[in-house]
Amino acid sequence: MSNYFNTLPLREKLNQLGVCDFMDSSEFLDGIDALKGKKLVVVGCGAQGLNQGLNLRDSGLNVSYALRKEAIEGKRDSYKNASENNFTVGTYEELIPDADVVINLTPDKQHTAVVNAIMPLMKKGATLLYSHGFNIVEEGMQVRKDITVIMVAPKCPGSEVRAEYVRGFGVPTLIAVHPENDPEGKGLLQAKAYCVGTGGHKAGVLKSSFVAEVKSDLMGEQTILCGLLQTGSILSFDKMVEKGIDAGYASKLVQYGVEVITEALKQGGITAMMDRLSNVAKIKAFEISEELKDIMRPLFQKHQDDIMSGEFSRIMMEDWANGDKNLLRWRAETGETAFEKTPAGNVKIGEQEYFDNYTLMVAFVRAGVELAFETMVQAGIKPESAYYESLHETPLIANTIARKKLFEMNRVISDTAEYGCYLFDQACKPLLADFMKKVDTDLVGKNFNEGKDAAVDNRSLIEVNEAIRSHEVEVIGATLRKAMTAMKAIKTA
Amino acid sequence: MSKPVVHIANLNLWYRQKAVLQDLNWIIYPSENWLVCGTSGSGKTSLAKAVAGLIKANGKIEINFNPEASLPPVIHYTANWYQFKDLEGQSNFYYQQRYNKQSTEVTATVRAELQGYGEKLGLDFEEALAIVNQLCFSDLVNSTLIQLSSGEHKKLQLIKGIWLAPQLLILDQPYNGLDKQSRENLNRLLEALAEKGTQLILISNDVEIPACINRFAEISNGKLMEISDEERISERDEELTVKAVPDFLRESPIPTFSGSVIKMTDVSISYGDKQVLKNINWVVERGEKWLLQGPNGSGKSTLLSLVCGDHPQAYSNDFSLFGFKRGTGESIWDIKTRIGLISPELHWYFDASATVWQSVASGFYDSSGLFCEPGSTRHGQVNELLEYFGLLEQSKVLMTELPLGKQRLALLARTIIKNPELLILDEPCQGLDQQQTQHFNKLVDGLCKNGTTLIYVGHFEAQLPECIEKRILLENGAVKSVESLLEAV
Repeated sequence: MSNYFNTLPLREKLNQLGVCDFMDSSEFLDGIDALKGKKLVVVGCGAQGLNQGLNLRDSGLNVSYALRKEAIEGKRDSYKNASENNFTVGTYEELIPDADVVINLTPDKQHTAVVNAIMPLMKKGATLLYSHGFNIVEEGMQVRKDITVIMVAPKCPGSEVRAEYVRGFGVPTLIAVHPENDPEGKGLLQAKAYCVGTGGHKAGVLKSSFVAEVKSDLMGEQTILCGLLQTGSILSFDKMVEKGIDAGYASKLVQYGVEVITEALKQGGITAMMDRLSNVAKIKAFEISEELKDIMRPLFQKHQDDIMSGEFSRIMMEDWANGDKNLLRWRAETGETAFEKTPAGNVKIGEQEYFDNYTLMVAFVRAGVELAFETMVQAGIKPESAYYESLHETPLIANTIARKKLFEMNRVISDTAEYGCYLFDQACKPLLADFMKKVDTDLVGKNFNEGKDAAVDNRSLIEVNEAIRSHEVEVIGATLRKAMTAMKAIKTA
Repeated sequence: MSKPVVHIANLNLWYRQKAVLQDLNWIIYPSENWLVCGTSGSGKTSLAKAVAGLIKANGKIEINFNPEASLPPVIHYTANWYQFKDLEGQSNFYYQQRYNKQSTEVTATVRAELQGYGEKLGLDFEEALAIVNQLCFSDLVNSTLIQLSSGEHKKLQLIKGIWLAPQLLILDQPYNGLDKQSRENLNRLLEALAEKGTQLILISNDVEIPACINRFAEISNGKLMEISDEERISERDEELTVKAVPDFLRESPIPTFSGSVIKMTDVSISYGDKQVLKNINWVVERGEKWLLQGPNGSGKSTLLSLVCGDHPQAYSNDFSLFGFKRGTGESIWDIKTRIGLISPELHWYFDASATVWQSVASGFYDSSGLFCEPGSTRHGQVNELLEYFGLLEQSKVLMTELPLGKQRLALLARTIIKNPELLILDEPCQGLDQQQTQHFNKLVDGLCKNGTTLIYVGHFEAQLPECIEKRILLENGAVKSVESLLEAV
């Protein structure tokens, strides 16, 4: 198998990267019709598998689960998840041959093995559904020509996919049809019907392509989402301890701060996040985030280049073949950081205090989101796709950090995200060394406004506001957020 | 006379530019146990929280604990609302979640919860188990928090307060969701506690109370007035002024199906080895008015969850709803659109960040929170019904900012807004005062005259609508009896 993207002529590369259509709700009037009465077989029953299946069944579809023999015999968690909710469970051999649609919701790393095992069992003209395009695009999986290949990717954790559905809503979802595998032209109709089945059509559906999804997803997860949040968190904690701030306080500020800060991001973009700061702090955060953008731009560009050329996937798959040697070493190192080992102190930190005392993180988030977005768009990815893979997902990862800190965050995100996160973190820390030398506790650990004159120059404030608000990520974000404003806020702090 | 335990003078409390408590005075002496009643929104909870030091109010609140007593010198407030978090500290739950099984537990077990609480306060776990026993809670010790019903959460809250045995225990609506036997057991426990020296403040409009209660008060117009026991029980038969029901609710619901509303044949539900429903056979025909009864834990909520499309095990049972067999291509939204549902769990998990108006309008779409624009006809209907429930002024207020009783009224309006074919009212009047309860039951009687089918769950015999004609009684997950109540009269 070879990298699918690299086999394409430039014209076709650009073509596929540019697939991006925010679908109107009128496109979903046929409901689940395209899948009604069909046999849907889900492979794998983790959080996404179970919760998507529960939704699909509650929407009137016929759902069962195909698991490996060992999982069934050993009554593993996946078996319990499916059987205790009264789904039919069987082996690949028992269920795949009758399936009209096979839904592959196993971890990325297993895709090649899983698809090789199920493909010979699939009946002629069936559909294979992915929720991530890595296997097709980066590994170059060749699927039998009679099979339709589609993607439906809810942009939220499995538990939320279920929670929003039973509330009567849904989560934003990305869909795609693989142009090499749409022999009957039914791919898009089935993908749309699947969205209705999971409730995603109520929260905004973006029609993308396998290529655009993979190239933007990899970029987002390794730079802003996991990479920069990890680097920023560790540097902030170390700086506070170095400057004599209580370690318990520092640990709590870092663990929960990023969630509180990005909740504003989720509701009203960079603008709302920056508006939570005082005028003086906002101007300062703007200045240092500009500086951060200049420092980190080459690194973001390198990540995007390596993703586009397939270099990133190549070295990661080398590590997979090598028993995850690098990944496990980096994971262990994350577990050993001082932040990870210092429990959050028993101190109360007010909601506003997270902004006032953690201005540095606000700057990191602005710099990271804008850089990731800009770099993706420069590489040919459309703004809507770039928005989902940068700004939209940042609060979700921040929520994971608040619940689990960094070590566990890395363990629960995808295989590709974790590997990319470590790569970024390794390169980014030395890059920021000089910058961090200048940082003092007014930016992290103490209230930035303390002892400062609150007055600002009108013109510089207007200029800063204008720069924040007119950025393309804000313009596109306002449109996309309108479709999902009704989602319930997640809060832990 | 000895020093008062609680001395409140000129207490004032404002909420949203409205005076809740005005120059309120209250003195509680040792060995007094108080019952405080009052209409919904009169300020009972605000006063309780102010005494417990949980909210700020202007004026004097002096607390004098007995330094010689062996009981801990603290005030414990058992709220009228319960809250819990999952193992990761979040509380983003949905009311159907207890029926969906996940292999990894997301919430702690009752045992772990109690042990954690006991360790924090230095209490002996054996004592907790004794209280657990007396409240018939033993079977649930290994259950997880998400699996508990609202009545069971209430018991867990009560266990914590009684176990601590503080010098002053404030119980806000302690009987909500408890069956008759549990209410009696609770009263015996509270009497024993008072015997040990704990002073009680009970906030409740219920009639049956512990024998140790020796002072009675009512809050009205922001003031606390002492009343006698007789006044408490007798004075509330003032004439009901019944408002005219909005026209759109006087029409018969448009029938959307033929056949029985519900037809269950040998329906059983188990979790692992634990059987929750056993061979239920039950047929509900169009227009019938049912009362569903049974003690806490008898399977009422599970039975109703099947009817509402909220239980995954519906798909493996022989069970028809609205004329079609479950699991034959219908969606849960096809089911919900015909049902108006209220239950304590629906209330508890409802989206509190929605406004009153949005909450009522969401009843058209069976969603928790409003995600569509309802259009002008429905817009008018929401306003009419808000007016009927006396909530029009609060239409833009967030649910979370209203007292429980008002929240409940809004959710009752949500339940009936679409004039559904089937009404499922699971303890609909929890948290309401007597007059509001009578009012609502009258409304239900009116709706049912139009041919609406009704399933009503209520623990309080005295507070049922008149139209009820049949009763199904559950015990330990099985049908104990089915009877017609009309013949008995």
